[in-house]
Amino acid sequence: MKLYLSKWLGACAALMIAFNAMAADTIKVGILHSLSGTMAISETSLRDMLLFAFDEINAAGGVKIGDKSYMIEPVIVDGASNWPLFAEKAKQLLEEDKVAVVFGCWTSVSRKSVLPVFEKDNGMLFYPVQYEGEELSKNIFYTAEAVNQQATPAVDYLLAQGKKKFYLIGTDYVYPQTTNLILYKYLLLHGIKLEDIGGGLRKDDSGKVISAGKYTPFGHTDYQQIVAEIKQFAAGGDACVVNTINGDSNVPFFKEVAAAGLTPADCPVVSFSLAEDELRALPTKDLVGELGCWTYFMSIKSRDNKAFLKRWDAWLKTEDHPGVVKEKRAVDSPMVLSYDGVYLWKEAVEKAGSFDVDKVRETLESGDISFEGPGGKNTMQKNHHTTKNVYIGDTLANGQFKILKTFNAVYGEPFLLKDLDEKLSAMK
Amino acid sequence: MNLAQKLLVWFLSGGIFLGCFSAQADPTSDSTIREELVQAILSDGQAQQKLLNELAESGAKVVHDVLTAWTRQGVYLYEGPDGSKVPILLDDQLDGEGKARAIRIIDGQFVKDASGKELRFASADLNNAETDMRLRSSIQQSMDTLALSAANPEERNSAVLKLGNSQKPRYIPILQAKLAKEADLAVRRSLNEAIALLQLADPDPKTQIAAVQHLAELKSIGSVDNIKALMNKAGCPPDVVKACHGAVRVIENHIGFVNFIGTIFHGLSLGSILLVVALGLAITFGLMGIINMAHGEMIAVGAYTCYVIQNIFGTGFGFAITLPFSFGGKNIHFGLHIPGLNTTGLWYESYFLFAIPLSFIMAALAGLAIERTVIRFLYRRPLESLLATWGISLVMQQLFRMVFGANNVQVNSPSWLLGHFSVNDVSFDYNRVFVIAFALAIVLGTWLLLTKTPLGLLIRAVMQNRAMAASLGVRTARVNMLTFAFGSGLAGLAGAFLSQIGNVGPSLGQTYIVDSFMTVVLGGVGSIVGTVCSAFGIGTADEVLQQTTGSPVTGKIVVLVGIILFLQWKPGGLFASRSRSLD
Repeated sequence: MKLYLSKWLGACAALMIAFNAMAADTIKVGILHSLSGTMAISETSLRDMLLFAFDEINAAGGVKIGDKSYMIEPVIVDGASNWPLFAEKAKQLLEEDKVAVVFGCWTSVSRKSVLPVFEKDNGMLFYPVQYEGEELSKNIFYTAEAVNQQATPAVDYLLAQGKKKFYLIGTDYVYPQTTNLILYKYLLLHGIKLEDIGGGLRKDDSGKVISAGKYTPFGHTDYQQIVAEIKQFAAGGDACVVNTINGDSNVPFFKEVAAAGLTPADCPVVSFSLAEDELRALPTKDLVGELGCWTYFMSIKSRDNKAFLKRWDAWLKTEDHPGVVKEKRAVDSPMVLSYDGVYLWKEAVEKAGSFDVDKVRETLESGDISFEGPGGKNTMQKNHHTTKNVYIGDTLANGQFKILKTFNAVYGEPFLLKDLDEKLSAMK
Repeated sequence: MNLAQKLLVWFLSGGIFLGCFSAQADPTSDSTIREELVQAILSDGQAQQKLLNELAESGAKVVHDVLTAWTRQGVYLYEGPDGSKVPILLDDQLDGEGKARAIRIIDGQFVKDASGKELRFASADLNNAETDMRLRSSIQQSMDTLALSAANPEERNSAVLKLGNSQKPRYIPILQAKLAKEADLAVRRSLNEAIALLQLADPDPKTQIAAVQHLAELKSIGSVDNIKALMNKAGCPPDVVKACHGAVRVIENHIGFVNFIGTIFHGLSLGSILLVVALGLAITFGLMGIINMAHGEMIAVGAYTCYVIQNIFGTGFGFAITLPFSFGGKNIHFGLHIPGLNTTGLWYESYFLFAIPLSFIMAALAGLAIERTVIRFLYRRPLESLLATWGISLVMQQLFRMVFGANNVQVNSPSWLLGHFSVNDVSFDYNRVFVIAFALAIVLGTWLLLTKTPLGLLIRAVMQNRAMAASLGVRTARVNMLTFAFGSGLAGLAGAFLSQIGNVGPSLGQTYIVDSFMTVVLGGVGSIVGTVCSAFGIGTADEVLQQTTGSPVTGKIVVLVGIILFLQWKPGGLFASRSRSLD
């Protein structure tokens, strides 16, 4: 008992010392992801990757400002796949914990929900997941793939392969809707005829197209009719499918595609929401040869990437953060873009010599901040997006991608619709 | 043909075309073809192109397999002890370290070291025989022509149509030569179609008109795009345009017919899924009156059983759990490891046949346990049974998460459930045909059990009037237990089938619970016939509305609104039971 008490006192003392030390040279950084609810499967991986990046930076001496170095102290909050809760948690991070920066969000709706909070409190958010663009907040930095860093390069690749018919299908929410609308205009601009864009169009009263493609709700399971339609669409050859279905529904979709005999050789499917992490839970046998397009693949054969994966594996073996799954882990693009974001922020802080949001933003916007990440060089642009490499790969039976084509240093452009509209009306 | 060669062909074909390899291998030319293949892989430029063209003429299966592997980056260059480069393929079977045996392309033998031991490689450690886009497309072209002489008629068919759609008239003589030799009716039809398609590009209007009329006769769906392109081309002669219009009309009528039959088939298959899913609930909820919210989890038990059996037939199944709380300062661990049978080929493909009865048994056992521990205390209290079974469903979901992980698990369909057959352009997927037969079989089985066996008689007696049956000496507790187990077992069967078409994850049951209740309530609580009718009714209505409105969501909404209105009009459902116990 006595021993126990003295141990306890000792621990208290240690804690207080630690607390004092913290006050001197730690910096609080927020992690805002869903650790429960439907999105937890995807977002938990990003939390793990961020913790890895923080541990790595701390082990290397922390964030250095002048001759002082600051250890990163993560403040983890759970958005619980509940969009209004995301805003509340963001408020807590900025107003109570006073974090210097937040890394977080997956779905566009969660980002839209926290955006006003970050603008009001002048916070800083790094957003890592491919998204639909058409947004630019002075308080958000998008390390994510913009549409022109994923969807349009994939379409360029398919056009170069001689594809003439494109079927658009997605889950019914903002990302697939906006992306498909952009692709619809992009395809028209590249000489694809209206009747060769499949999935259907929806127009408003003035006759303006407001939605292109076929949409199913989250968790949809019956793809018989849609695949039958795709099969007729593809009967004339040279067709392909652009798939923005999100989550579970990809399984029944691809099982139906395989059963109907639509092979990648005849009619490939390019998916924008399936990365290595998702493929772990999909029957990859049915997906072999289908295409993916991201700014990072685990199979990139660069020295940086191999070293990165080695460090990640070593960290998984030794780390002791609660709740981190250690077995059968994969790394994918959203995870790597989270990781890149941390280093871009660190670089900017060190250069600005301050954690002050305005100063860091000014430095990030200068265009001089870049980071050699696992997927290649990332450079932060003035418009808060990053220039990075884009890769197209086909799926292998082991759930990895074989890289077919690389587009080097693609500039991230969030606003495509307006430009496309202008070009289209000029064409008429 | 020695064993290793057999194995090679076996592995390359992925076990899909079982048993057809011995018929078509030609031992005399095999070694020369293999030599040419190796040369083609090691050479480049013009020489490579020439070799590829020659290989395309051979029609040998090994050429197809190696070229396929090549385009998929599956051909590796192994550097032999003397520094020479040896093209190899890797075996499908990986060992524990993710390494596989290597097969030399030149002779189909495994690569061995000096002492005769088979060497093993990981794909990441080897160098690919690289392909660029140009080479891939010429390999593809070789494979297209090669596939014209494939043994499998379906492959020939798709190769022929591909050449037809290419709109390159230079293929016409090749296809005409094939037509003279072809015996398979479906392929003959495709050859005719492809030749007509290629003739559309002919400069002579007469040939064009003949080709268009021929395509209309053949009702070729794939040719609509090309015919439309032809008639919209500037300077197209008016009589050709007229012929085109006629042909498009004929073919579009045909498409309408195909869609009609297809939609009915899709409706039947969706209905069968609903039926399979709801039948167990028709017993536990319909007959027994338990508002069984754990029904979905019984389905998941069946699906996970299927997953476990698949793994036992493969490399084995194991799990380890650490409980989230400690007991006496010690963490409690437990786990299980079932070694795999490591079967391949036909045995592995048949795992599903073993999984079906086991899914029934496992789900029935789970149902039995729930009935004995919870439900038997709640027969007279339906609302409490709702809460209790809902609690059970949450507990079971968490158990699935602990044992199988929060992510979905992979269940691969056996190859005999993949694929489809076509009749007059309407395609019937094997797994959909299977589910219709499966649904009918279990309905028949249930009907026989309930009406033709002594147990069925007891079940009906107890469900209609428990007190009366008990006073006549029926052991009602036992009948209740068996009935609930039977209903749960049927849910397990549903799970086994659902694992073949959708996700297997902890929340699998949640996806289907609403549909199940909807089907049972619409059919009339307590009526199996009602469940059958309502399942097929909902399925067909849903698919027809999807087809006519063109939107998967609208169809579902209209069906739901329809059901609500129907239940307002007839609250008892389609076949209202007049059992007193339900009053």
